[in-house]
This record gives sequence, C-alpha cells and structure tokens, in this order.
Amino acid sequence: MIAIVDYGLGNVNAIENIYRRLGIEVVAVRTASELAKAPRLILPGVGSFDWAMRLLDRSGMRGALDEAVLGRRIPVLGICVGFQMMLRRSDEGVLPGLGWIEGDVRKFEPTRSGQLTRLPHMGWNDVRSSTRDPIFAALEEPMRFYFLHSYYIQLAAPDGEIGTADYQGDFCCAARRDNVVGVQFHPEKSHQWGVGLLRNFAGSGTC
Amino acid sequence: MLRPRISPCLLVHEGGLVKTERFGNPKYVGDPINAVRIFNEKEVDEIIVLDIDATVRNREPDYDLIRRLAAECRMPLCYGGGVRKLEHFERIVSLGVEKVAVGAACCEQPELITKAAEVVGSQSVVAVVDARRPSPGAPPTVLTRNATVDGRVAPADHARRLESLGAGEILVNSIDRDGMRVGYDCELVQSIRDAVSCPITALGGAGSLAHLGELFKHFGIIGASAGSLFVFKGVYKAVLISYPNRADRDRLVAESLGPRGGEA
Amino acid sequence: MDPRPYQICSNCVMDTTDSLITFDDAGICDHCRTFERTIKPNWRTDARGRAEIERIAEGIRQEGRGRDFDCIIGMSGGIDSSYLVYLAKEELGLRPLVFHVDAGWNSQEAVNNIERIVDRLNLDLFTEVIDWEEMRDLQLAYFRAGVPHIDTPQDHAFFATMYNFAEQHGIRHILTGANYSTECVRNPIEWMYYQSDSVQLRDIHSRFGSRPLVKFPITSILRHKVYLRYIKRIQVVAPLNHMPYIKADAMTLLADRFGWQPYPQKHFESRFTRFYEGFWLLGKFGYDVRRVQFSSLILTGQMTREDALERLKAPPLDAATIAQETAFVAAKLRITEDELMGYFRAPNKTYRDYRSQESVYQVGAWAMRLLGLTRGGKR
Repeated sequence: MIAIVDYGLGNVNAIENIYRRLGIEVVAVRTASELAKAPRLILPGVGSFDWAMRLLDRSGMRGALDEAVLGRRIPVLGICVGFQMMLRRSDEGVLPGLGWIEGDVRKFEPTRSGQLTRLPHMGWNDVRSSTRDPIFAALEEPMRFYFLHSYYIQLAAPDGEIGTADYQGDFCCAARRDNVVGVQFHPEKSHQWGVGLLRNFAGSGTC
Repeated sequence: MLRPRISPCLLVHEGGLVKTERFGNPKYVGDPINAVRIFNEKEVDEIIVLDIDATVRNREPDYDLIRRLAAECRMPLCYGGGVRKLEHFERIVSLGVEKVAVGAACCEQPELITKAAEVVGSQSVVAVVDARRPSPGAPPTVLTRNATVDGRVAPADHARRLESLGAGEILVNSIDRDGMRVGYDCELVQSIRDAVSCPITALGGAGSLAHLGELFKHFGIIGASAGSLFVFKGVYKAVLISYPNRADRDRLVAESLGPRGGEA
Repeated sequence: MDPRPYQICSNCVMDTTDSLITFDDAGICDHCRTFERTIKPNWRTDARGRAEIERIAEGIRQEGRGRDFDCIIGMSGGIDSSYLVYLAKEELGLRPLVFHVDAGWNSQEAVNNIERIVDRLNLDLFTEVIDWEEMRDLQLAYFRAGVPHIDTPQDHAFFATMYNFAEQHGIRHILTGANYSTECVRNPIEWMYYQSDSVQLRDIHSRFGSRPLVKFPITSILRHKVYLRYIKRIQVVAPLNHMPYIKADAMTLLADRFGWQPYPQKHFESRFTRFYEGFWLLGKFGYDVRRVQFSSLILTGQMTREDALERLKAPPLDAATIAQETAFVAAKLRITEDELMGYFRAPNKTYRDYRSQESVYQVGAWAMRLLGLTRGGKR
C-alpha cells in the first residue's frame, strides 16, 4: 500500500490514478495519525522550496514524517520539490530542508558549457543510471522522463547518486540513502517510464 | 539530451473541442476527454488545453473539466482560459495540472503573474502572447480576448516584461497563421527568443512535421505546438487524432538539430 | 420468462439464451439450417463470385469516372472495414472515399489503424463527428430504457451519416464490410433490435432524454432501404461476400503490410462496444454475443465447436477489466458508477416496451426474401 503525503502541493491525483489503474492500493494522507500507519510513502512537490516547506510544516505532519522515515525507516520516494526538500537547504529559499540526504539544492548556473542556460530545465530528457537501482528495474532503455525545474541536487558525497541527466553537463537527478530515494523528474507525468518507476517503488524488497 | 517538445494544443468551446482559423470559424472536433485520452495513449510530450470562452464570457475556469482532463494525462498538462485570480492558479495546479496559461490577465493585471509565480512557482506560469500581423510582413501586435482587444504592445516587449514579472514560459501564438497550415511565423518566434531567456513554445501555422523540423532547426530546444496538424487529416479536413510515434519524433529531432545536439 | 430446458445446438454454439431458437431432431438449430439452406448455396466465393464483384466494380469505376472518388466505405478501424478498404483500392481498382463516424468512443488503436491504412493506401478521409453532448444524452436515455440494444446510438449515427453523405454528394455506391464469413449468424433481434428503427429511437429519447436531438443524424428504414435504394438508387455492396474472407489471414495481411494493430475481440475498436458486448449484455441479459460470432466462424470452417465451447467457458472480460471499463464508461458519460450500476440492476425491458416500426421490418424482410433480394437475415 502506498501513502501519498498530501500537504497541499504536488500532483497527488495523478499519482493516485496511476496506482489505481495498476491495481495497487493507494491513499492520500493528510494528518500525522494517518501518516503514522503508512508502510511506504511518496512525498510529491511542485513550486518553490520555501513554500513547500512552509506548507509541510503547516500540515502538522512534519514530525510524523521524520519519525516514519528516520525512526521506522520506511521507504519514501521524493518527487521534484519533494526530493529537493529532503536535502539540507536550497539556493531557492531560506528555510532549512528535511536533511534526510546530505547535500544542497543549487540553482543551475547562468551559463554551462559556455552556453546560456535557459531556465527552467523543461521537457523530456534521458536519464542514465549506472547503479541498477531497483526503482529503474525493467524500464525500457534509454529511459526518458519529464523534467520541470530550475534547481538541482548537489550531493555532499557522490555514492548516493543513482541517476544523472545531461543539461549542458551532467547533474544528479536521482539519489538514494538507504530507505530514502528521490527523483528530480516527474514520474507521474512520464508515461511508461514513470508508471514503471512508480510500480517498482510499490514493489516489495529493497525498493 | 533535452529534447524539443511537441505539444498538441486543443481549444475548448462550449464544452466541446473545436479548431479555429485565424481565431474564427470554429469547427467541432469532438469530446475533449476522449481526445486527451487518445493523445495520452500516443504518449505525447505535453498537451495544452485552452478554454476560449471563459475569459470573454467572464466565467470561472471549468474545474470539473480540468479535473477530468488531468486524470487522463500521464504527461504534463497546461491549461488556460478564464484565469484572472491567484486562487485560479492555486486551484488548477492542485487538480494536477503542471502549468497554467494566462492571456488577457497579462495585459489587464500583470501583477498577477508575479503573485502566481511566488505561490505556484514560475515554472507553472505560462504567459500567452497572441500576436497578429495586420498584413504579411507588417510588424505584429499583441491582441487579447480572442483577438478582440488591442494590447497596444509589440510581442517581444510584452514577452520581455512578462518574463521579468515572473512568467516561466512564453507561448507565442500567431493569430494570422492559426489553422492556415503554412508554417510557423519564425520571425515572430525569433523576436521572442531574442527578448527572453525562459523557454518558449510556438503555436500557429504548423501544417506538417517539416514545419516542426524547420522550427527546431532555427531554434534548437523549443516547444512546437499545433492544433490542426494533430487533429485534421487530408483535403477534407477529416477529424482524426494523430501524432508522430517515438521513432519518427526522434528522427525528426536528430535531423533538425544535427550534430551540434541540443543547444538550449 | 423462458421455461424451456437449456439446450445448445449440436453444430454451432447458439443456445436457448436466444429464446426464439428452434432445434430439429438432430439438435441442430435454425441458424445453422438457414445457413445451409439459403445462404451457403448462393454464397459464391469462387471464380463466379469473383467475376460478379469484378462486374460490379467495373460498373462503379465507370460511373465514377471524372469524379474525385467513385464510392464510399465506412471505416471503423475494425478488421472487416479495414480489409475492405485495402481490397477496394488494391484488388478492385476502386477509388473510395474513406468515411469515418466519430461517436466519441474511438480507441487509440482504431484511430491509429485508420490513419495507417488511409496513409499507406493514399486515400482521402472524411470524418463526421457526432455532437458529444447529444450522443451522451441519447446513450443515457437508452440505459434508462432498460433495453438490451444500448449500442443503437453509435450504430444508428453511423448509418444515418453515411446515407446522408451519399445522398448529399450524389454518390451511388456504398461499400460495406458486412460478410457471411464472420456474420452469417446474426444477433437475434431480441438481443439487438434493428438499430435503424427511428421510431423506437425517438420514443426512447422522448421518454428518457433530457435535451433535444438537433444535430444527431437520424435515418429510417423506409428512407434508406426504400427511398435511397430505389428512388435515389444508392447501392450498398458487400465485396467481402464475393471472395474467400478468412479473418485470421486478413489480420495478418494488414499487420504485415500496414502495421495494423489487432484487437482482442470483435468490435473492440469502440470502447463502448467493448463494455457493452463484454459485460453489459451478458451480465444484465445473459446474451453472450460471442456465441453468435463463434457460430458464424464454426459454420464457415474458421473455428471448431470444441474451441468455441472452451473459449465460452471464461467470461469475455475478467473482473479487473470490467471494473476498469465500468469506471471508464461512467466517467465518460459523466455519471457516477452507482448510477450506471443502478441501470444495470433495473428491470430488463425489451424493444416491445417502446414504440417501433417492427411491422415494417417484418413486411420488408418477407418481401425481400420473396423477391430473392436477401438471404438469411435477422430474426
């Protein structure tokens, strides 16, 4: 069963729809007590970092979330800003992140590889994974996902990186630390690759 | 490599899908939900749905339709039409829509762009620039409200201002080429490209995949949107939903972008 | 209520769910007997049949000279109409206008198949899009009427539009994919009443519809079988009856040549038809249209009775698919699943509960048989 943290941001409906059509039980959780019972979580997010952190705090689920992820160590998948929130801090805002993954969220440089960086990074891009992480299992290669963001994850240590994409230079677009996994792209809007990734996340085992 | 986007653009009029010519003469195309569903199964890059009644009839966005459209999309959805308040942005995004398009409000209350960008993020704010050349080759001006109100501004200046206010994407639409299938107004698109650094989507005039290729050749990574091309077939303008498959799209992009790859 | 003991034909797989079925002493049903006695002897798929269709084609070609096209073919994206388009262009040398009626239920596969065939054969396409709001309202009216033939709105719209178009543009030849090979056994009227009966359609709409039918195309049996046929001389030709038509071979050919995508079952090019035939008709009334389809294939040697019986053991759609399709249909019709299932559980009605032109059909069918103008036919 998948629980989507519904703190007011992110495409909860789209993720729910995908799981329903796959026949996988899914529920949106809005309170700390609902969250406490969840066996597996998805933390979605769109918009700005501070706005997302503020909404998460206001939802009253922040404590239960930390307890579930750091205490009970249940699997959690962060999507886009949901992933960014798992880091320590972001160039985009002033509030601290959840700090589950060591690293920061940086803005794409104004120029990369000598060219003007158009922001946001928007559109379909290839994702390469050298670590064979279970969330990418059985996805058709080359994998492609939909991106929509102006900030990217910079991990403190490279060993957490499980996926990269090239936007005028490689950047980390997926990372994992034990039970915590995050993806910068939008699996709920990435057709078969996204459906496959979400299905993999719902699977049993190390995912 | 980041790919240029190819996005069908669908117009909703009185609850049904229509296709226009130069913003007039709407021809009925069918049920919006079924069209979006078929596009979803064809794995389109993105889809744009614009309600052309809401603003001129002073109506709220059709949230029921939006919710049902969003439920069909395993790809990003951009929705526009009747967006006049911050609450509209918030509600539409909460229904599972990635981007919200605004047209008239860009002229009538541009401060809304800034407020919306703060709340939902500029990546979700798409500024629609409808432009018409009074005659071929004449400089274009911005029009709003289904081309009935003169915005009294050049498209490039307008786009530049909207980007600085917080718009994350510019959708530039050639009114005179709408439904004409003669190719994009690349000069118009160039003027926008010169004015802003955020992503751009071109709309109006595409009649063949070659026109898309031409756009990509000129501009590299850009959004190519089209209505007639993906909804009509042949000399009788038979309604039939089509979209190039992945292999054809990749080939088109490879041929257009050439060895230099995707310059943004 | 049918107090008859259950019986299934010893030759095909039609059974007493067709309440008018009769069996002879050998346990063979009247569908089989009709086929043996009246259809088969006159069904020529050999050189004679070929010569006949060539003659008809030549007539069509002659009449169409100088015009943009010489005939129209209604194409749903299904195997019969897809193959017919190929046949008409490649083998009969005709110049058809491909005609498609979009009633709002097209599956992606159907749309894709139409596109591929039209493109590869370099043909022109004309589409009529039925006003969805009117279509939806009429479909809901049929659900509320409680009758089995809830697929009538789609079918009726298809025929009405085709005939209207042919009449408006002065086209005298309509090619249809109707064929004995897969359709020699017809759906009993009890299961699927005449979709062209406009008296019934209007009665059901007036009782259960909620908005006027303005744009929806309406035809009538007298109009298209008598007026258009004999006065305007619009001829309907079924070329698939004049040559060997083996469904499996046709599918292979279309897949190889055009990348045509097959469907899991007949009529799955419309998601409504899939729901209707795969779940509604069977679940609400006990009518399994596969019996009719398989029986046709048995009689034409394309399926064994054992194979048919085996396949009939399992329902056409599994529980998960039924749940998914029910949700889909309800959402598309903008009603709740509760409302939809309410119609499912409501008392079963028949076409006789509403006004109809049945007598006209009966007289007409009798007259056509007498004049040798038709064989077999619905009952």
